[in-house]
Amino acid sequence: MAWRGHLSRSVKELRFLYCQTSPASLPAREFVHRNYKDLKTLNPKLPILIRETSGVEPQLWARYDMGVERYVRLEGLTEPEINKALEELVKAGGIS
Amino acid sequence: MGFLRALHRARPLIRSNLSTSRVTCRWISSTPDRHNPEAAAAAAPAPTPEVRPRTPVGGARIEFANPEDAIEVFVDGYPVKIPKGMTVLQACEVAGIDIPRFCYHSRLSIAGNCRMCLVEVEKSPKPVASCAMPALPGMKIKTNTPVAKKAREGVMEFLLMNHPLDCPICDQGGECDLQDQSMAFGSDRGRFTEMKRSVVDKNLGPLVKTVMTRCIQCTRCVRFASEVAGVQDLGMLGRGSGEEIGTYVEKLMTSELSGNVIDICPVGALTSKPFAFKARNWELKGTESIDVTDAVGSNIRIDSRGAEVMRILPRLNEEINEEWISDKTRFFYDGLKRQRLNDPMIRDHNGRFKPVTWRDALAIVAEVAHQVKPDEIVGIAGQLSDAESMIALKDFLNRMGSNNVFCEGNGLSPQADLRSSFLLNSNIAGLENADLFLIVGSQPRVEAPMVNARIRKTVRATQAKVAYIGPPTDFNYDHEHIGTGPKTLLDIAEGRHPFCSVILSAKNPAIIVGAGLFGRKDKDAIAAAIETIAKFGRVNRPDWNGLNVLLLNAAQAAALDLGLASGPECIRSAKFVYLMGADDVNLDGLPTDAFVLYQGHHGDKGVYRANVIFPSAAFSEKEGTYENTEGCAQWTVPAVPTVGESRDDWKIIRALSEVAGVCLPYDSLEAVRARIGTVAPNLLNVEEREAPTISGELKPEFRQNLSMAPFGVAVDNFYMTDSITRASKIMSQCSSQLSKK
Repeated sequence: MAWRGHLSRSVKELRFLYCQTSPASLPAREFVHRNYKDLKTLNPKLPILIRETSGVEPQLWARYDMGVERYVRLEGLTEPEINKALEELVKAGGIS
Repeated sequence: MGFLRALHRARPLIRSNLSTSRVTCRWISSTPDRHNPEAAAAAAPAPTPEVRPRTPVGGARIEFANPEDAIEVFVDGYPVKIPKGMTVLQACEVAGIDIPRFCYHSRLSIAGNCRMCLVEVEKSPKPVASCAMPALPGMKIKTNTPVAKKAREGVMEFLLMNHPLDCPICDQGGECDLQDQSMAFGSDRGRFTEMKRSVVDKNLGPLVKTVMTRCIQCTRCVRFASEVAGVQDLGMLGRGSGEEIGTYVEKLMTSELSGNVIDICPVGALTSKPFAFKARNWELKGTESIDVTDAVGSNIRIDSRGAEVMRILPRLNEEINEEWISDKTRFFYDGLKRQRLNDPMIRDHNGRFKPVTWRDALAIVAEVAHQVKPDEIVGIAGQLSDAESMIALKDFLNRMGSNNVFCEGNGLSPQADLRSSFLLNSNIAGLENADLFLIVGSQPRVEAPMVNARIRKTVRATQAKVAYIGPPTDFNYDHEHIGTGPKTLLDIAEGRHPFCSVILSAKNPAIIVGAGLFGRKDKDAIAAAIETIAKFGRVNRPDWNGLNVLLLNAAQAAALDLGLASGPECIRSAKFVYLMGADDVNLDGLPTDAFVLYQGHHGDKGVYRANVIFPSAAFSEKEGTYENTEGCAQWTVPAVPTVGESRDDWKIIRALSEVAGVCLPYDSLEAVRARIGTVAPNLLNVEEREAPTISGELKPEFRQNLSMAPFGVAVDNFYMTDSITRASKIMSQCSSQLSKK
């Protein structure tokens, strides 16, 4: 989990978009509830925007340097898979 | 001669008419049955009740708090079910019948003094004033009988007795209740030959023009001032024909809501002073838009003629502004045509601005932007920016390699992560459910008059308590001033303050934190203290979220939603500053060799330091999304064309990005909004509130010390807070005459 501490090195902004109520967004909601505090404590300067909108499919966006953005659809992913997706997004920023 | 012969032939007919209607000298009505309603009613066959579904006036819906309290009444034979306690007038409205009225107003107390709403009720000896009469079960109300018609005609005749016949020079002409109702219900001639009374006009300040001779003593303005605005300035003086509305001693009406008396006055006694003799209402084009002078986002209608905004009126929105707007919203529009920037301009070596073409201006700015290091570029969104331009600004700067984008007023390192940490979570209408308010460092009366009106309404209706921490300020309701600074907060958080027991005994406590505190260095510590109080007072429960932030300006909420979350500390090392309408940001720390680009619609503070000016459209000239302090996104609609060479903010940024070689991937409003959908999709759900479900408890603890400096005042001068209001002549008159110093 060491990558969590270096989020702000490669990623400039993280955005979790999901619905407040839909079952499709449930893992994303749970992931945010369990991990937000940890992520924010490790990366106090990194904006981790949590934007809840009814009817939105869960997605995770990462913004890297020079305005490059990538995203992962979180629909159908479980919490460990979301964690994995986040890790991949973070590592993708490190390489590029 | 032919005329005389015709008269001779007609005479017997006239004579017979006279004898039947028992009028000896003059006719006053064209319908003879109104002169003898009893006989006419007896003669007419009983009308068969027509039962066909009717829709309530204005599409209103009735809610039955308790289904057992429903009673049935008959309006013109049509049965309606209404809750107990409704008046006859309301029952008629439910039945789809609009009763004429002058003094009755649904948001004010009932006076019952104009008598225009008289209707006939079966078994009642006299016509009854429907606005003041409670409906009783089985009541048979008749609104269209000769008795009711005669009563209206008589009332109208008395009202017009002393009303001047100056409709052609009256500003209310065309939207006057008296004019309309005298056409619909009045007689076609008068019987009075005496002199009309005249009343001395009152000076109520620079906003409200009075022609008191036109007043019909409905007392709506008196009731509005004392009930909604909370100023006891207006009153009724004298009796009988000497009765008049006034302030007793000469006094200006110093309320931030005084302009609403113009709307509620049914005649032309109170009209808008700035609008006097400017236009007739039928020449105006109405555009339904949103107010941007504060963070409330009041719904307004912009009335324009040609390219000019002539006036601004409120639009009904029960969730936000009901049907009122503040004086700033109503009267700042003259600032829209003064001090406008209409050409792209470059400052030459003499320090003078020279108009240039867009092509040259964009080329120069793009060149300069590439000469500085990416992290020396800073973008600042102004307090009137819409969401579209802010996302374009952020994307442009991100693509240039900079992350230094923020919105003025959001303070050092704003907390943009969780929406609940910067929104008015209980909603403006939801504040009515609170029974205790703790206002921290906010002066709602000047920061958000519509929110203040809501609190006042709650306090009046339910005797909710208000406690206030901050510098001494004006409140128009009972409140307890429990402290001036963070020390009191700390005392409450640690359970040492007498207020603790008050908050514990409250059912729905609401904490309102002013956005003025965002500017403090210890804002995170203050937020932590407030969260402790919230936890201790059970302010945040699944069924009630009473922890609120009251923002100051229209762009703040959308800026935070879109992640414009840098802080003003980056100004100190900036070499290229993109001011997008930012006039109130402190540029003292800016290096002298920095290049400043000002993009905006008014030549205000930001222009003094600018090297290049890009003219952009004001809120009345563009389509834009604004998010108000409760997180409700709303759209403005262009009412008038843009000025000169100015363009929409996001289009300018889009053009600049292309010239600079970092082209933004959108070129239509729909595409910009689609882009917003990938950052903050809640901004696309217009007129919806997307309630944040996760609370501040997720926030990691910050170790920060509270400074003991008392809270400051966020808004100095209510009438002048942004570039448009500072350019407005009316607002400067208001601040010199009405501001309490």
